Amino acid sequence: MSEKYKIPQWIVENSQIVDEEGKIKDLSKDAQACETYLKEAVYSNYLKFPTHQARIKYLIDNDYYEKEIFEMYSHDQIDEIYDYAYANKFQFKSYMGAFKFYNDYALKNKMKDKFLELYEDRLVIIALYHAQGDFVRAMEILDALLKQVFIPATPTFLNTGKKHRGEFVSCFLLEMGDSLNDISRVLEFSMQLSKLGGGVSIHLSNLRAKGEDIKNIKHVAKGVVAVAKLLDNGFRYADQMGQRQGAGAVYLNVFHSDIEDFLSSKKINADDDIRLKTLSLGVVIPDKMIELARENKKMALFYPHTIRREYGENFGDLAINIDKYYDEWVANPNVGKRYVDPRKLLDLIATVQGESGYPYIMFSDNVNKNNPLKDSIKFSNLCTEILQPSMLSSYADYGKQEEDIIGQDISCNLASGQIENMMENKMIKESVYAAMDIMNSVSDKTNIAHVPAVAKANRLMHSVGFGMMGLHAYLAKNYIAYGSDESIELVDVFFNIVNYYSLYHSMEKAKATKTTFAGFEESKYSDGSYFDDRKAIYPRTEKIKQLFEGIYIPTDEDWQTLKKYVMEYGLYNSNRLAIAPNGSTSYLMATSAGVTPIKQLVEERTYGNSKTYFPMPHLETASFMYEDAYEIDNNRVIDVISTIQKHVDQGISFELCITSSLTTRDLVRYYLYAHHKGIKTLYYTRTRKLKVDECIACAV
Amino acid sequence: MSKTEYLYQGANWNEHEDAFTQAFYEQNLSQFWRPEEISLHGDLNVWHMLDETTRLAYARNLLVLTYLDTYQGDIGMPVLSRSLDDKFHQRKAVLNFMAAMENAVHAKSYSNIFMTYMNVEDINKLFAWGDEHECLQQIMDEIVSVYRDLDRLNYLRLYENVDKATFEIAQFKTCVASVFLETCLFYSGFYYPLYFYGQGKLMQAGEIINLIIRDESVHGVYVGTIAREMYDSFDKTQQQQLKQWTDNLMMRLYNLKIQLVHDIYDSVGLTEDVLRFVRYNANKAYLNLGFEELFENEEINPVVLNGLNTATKTQDFFSMKGNGYQKMVSTEIKDEDFFFGE
Repeated sequence: MSEKYKIPQWIVENSQIVDEEGKIKDLSKDAQACETYLKEAVYSNYLKFPTHQARIKYLIDNDYYEKEIFEMYSHDQIDEIYDYAYANKFQFKSYMGAFKFYNDYALKNKMKDKFLELYEDRLVIIALYHAQGDFVRAMEILDALLKQVFIPATPTFLNTGKKHRGEFVSCFLLEMGDSLNDISRVLEFSMQLSKLGGGVSIHLSNLRAKGEDIKNIKHVAKGVVAVAKLLDNGFRYADQMGQRQGAGAVYLNVFHSDIEDFLSSKKINADDDIRLKTLSLGVVIPDKMIELARENKKMALFYPHTIRREYGENFGDLAINIDKYYDEWVANPNVGKRYVDPRKLLDLIATVQGESGYPYIMFSDNVNKNNPLKDSIKFSNLCTEILQPSMLSSYADYGKQEEDIIGQDISCNLASGQIENMMENKMIKESVYAAMDIMNSVSDKTNIAHVPAVAKANRLMHSVGFGMMGLHAYLAKNYIAYGSDESIELVDVFFNIVNYYSLYHSMEKAKATKTTFAGFEESKYSDGSYFDDRKAIYPRTEKIKQLFEGIYIPTDEDWQTLKKYVMEYGLYNSNRLAIAPNGSTSYLMATSAGVTPIKQLVEERTYGNSKTYFPMPHLETASFMYEDAYEIDNNRVIDVISTIQKHVDQGISFELCITSSLTTRDLVRYYLYAHHKGIKTLYYTRTRKLKVDECIACAV
Repeated sequence: MSKTEYLYQGANWNEHEDAFTQAFYEQNLSQFWRPEEISLHGDLNVWHMLDETTRLAYARNLLVLTYLDTYQGDIGMPVLSRSLDDKFHQRKAVLNFMAAMENAVHAKSYSNIFMTYMNVEDINKLFAWGDEHECLQQIMDEIVSVYRDLDRLNYLRLYENVDKATFEIAQFKTCVASVFLETCLFYSGFYYPLYFYGQGKLMQAGEIINLIIRDESVHGVYVGTIAREMYDSFDKTQQQQLKQWTDNLMMRLYNLKIQLVHDIYDSVGLTEDVLRFVRYNANKAYLNLGFEELFENEEINPVVLNGLNTATKTQDFFSMKGNGYQKMVSTEIKDEDFFFGE
């Protein structure tokens, strides 16, 4: 008998939460699995030391921790902060959280058979590192982390303090130009970033379409999908040493002539030559397309190279304002174009989404109408929450680097609040501040030098993204239905406060450092117009009033004062808020992911490296309050998200969840409603297959 | 023009042949997939860490599955489809589709796994093992000889009169053998991939097995539904005889299965656990046929059991394709879709 592959007891216990139908069988098995796992797999393998100092010395001497962190604090301070952390008696609430942390985040020895950190140790090192020597601040950050009111995004949480570490940011957005140099360089950057564990999104709209000219030779360009295929292979090749697959996304403007090929690359019956296996797709949809579809007019798709020849500018940069150019391009015989039925194109998008989950959708005019910054936002990232301006770079030949024109690409630097803990600890301000401090520290400490346009933008813009998790769990716990008027009232009040404090923090930081993000003077923050419709939002119903009891709600006067300060001192960060889908970190925080409805009462998670069951919080008392994302009316989800969106300068990652009985038209109606309500981006569409017994049940 | 001997009629899908076939048609077509959709190389680092014994057991299980799917696609489903009266165009279509999935997609998927995990020499050795394995050959023979019997009658009745009862009995027996294969015989082979999948190992191969289970479970229920209809048309004596025949076939298969499971699983110490799982699925096969369970209920390894649940699993963008996606039905967008009251 090969004992090596015997199933550990905690996995058996965790599997006993549900029965074979996926229904809840025994919730108490979760706590049991958690206890067994910690006892048998973790505590017995934790390397113990007589004192904190001895442990730290060992970790520094053996190159596990960065020495410099501890030089910023006295011995007494270090003892005090560790003692404080342990005295807190933190407990994981679910096996999934404990397993995720110790399997993926905790520092291990080089043989990978001993744990060098407990959860508390990780939090302390994060607090010490990012407080940058300010002990009082370190204690405040630690306190917020221990109370689990927020958590930095995975790369920051995972890497902070480690001597041999990956980057603190792991999500990048790159613009690709239309020369072979540009294509090759961006492919190289993508693979390098992928090797570091990054997810990379690439904007392909500038590329000439299939069949366009190259050097005036007609019909030879291979088009967007050929480049996407290179990237698809590149990301699979440059994985993180087999531990995790590389991940990439490509975005294309819907007016690009290759759009149908692009979409078809994900269809189930796509030819192998054009099939994109693991690459994610996103499509940028301007209002113009919706308008043409509404009026049932034909829609012109354009050939980017002809536009560049005619106007000397890149298609991607112009097409983002297609409203301005559409009629002129249609009239201009020098601009290459062909016509399609926009309703058919919407139908194709819906077909591909239902079959593959892709493409992501970015409603670019909803994005740019509400963009306080001067430059346009042209595409989004792998999780569709990052919406920041970018500027195309152009790369010269080998050996002529000085001729490179470096634009601005994007990196995402994220953290998320946990709404239940923020509300119950009455720590909205503290959470936002601690998270903003950490993200600013990450921005200061990050220099992705080998991708110059990313490094440049980070230096100039200090963009960050504070998000939120646990909305559905918090609502369920308080017996509020997701999508109800009360839920909308709650998020309206809550996110208005979050926005206020994130602005306040950014303004204070600008004041203290006398630094604003580049282009502040030309933004709507600078002329104050951003604040035109910003004011106090108070709860109206008794129920929501009760939840906000003891929490300070900024008044109209506060908003006016903030406006004055921002106009005077500026903002440090070009972008502040973005709501990520946060998978793993929400397990650590024992709550539902993001601000979307839960997918299942007990989530079965199939990660590349593990399979685990995670019961949603508060099932014992409030399981009947959870309507999952497949049951709930998507229009109600859109109502909640669009309310939150009013207070979030970037995007919100959210998925449409549908059952297999839906048709393409149903799906298109969701897109149109989302667009109508001002939703900026749609992430995956997930389909729940009706199982065979459900099918028989309605047929026989 | 002279009148033809036969009347030829087209399939009219606008009318329902029965109460269930079109539902199964929808289900089958919407869950269509291709082996190439799942990229397997992510499993390689785990595969190479496994010891020789484990790898051999894993590969042999997939080989057994290959044999079963091959013959189910080659003859099992087609012979049943051919045996149905001409008026059952829709049933034939559904069975033919199932046949195509089994050989062209399922059997091909196992080969893709072999090709990714193993070298050509080892693959050839593996297939040679299957060709020479007496017990596996006997299991195949038990099943396929039932199919062949019906095959013979299918042809015979084109040229001479075949006794209606004899034909219907052969048809029913084919359904039973088919359900046994789909709902019971496969599962000793599924056990090992699910066992690893449940522990987070060889996840991509596990995804493929998940998709196959999703298909096979539909196949077993469909053929079982047809079998029940046939069984109800027999008189009491015939029913008793056929039930007896069914039990005998199951016991012969089960005894062969015990040997096969010992041969494959003894070296990894899981034989008893797998046999429990076989009995559990034998019971399911009986339920599909409308009979009472044959074996007593036992506690099944929960990690493996949960693998049988093919409801949509949750994924993130770094993960895998998942079994959640399907063919979409297209309907036209209308003018009113663009306007919202407010």
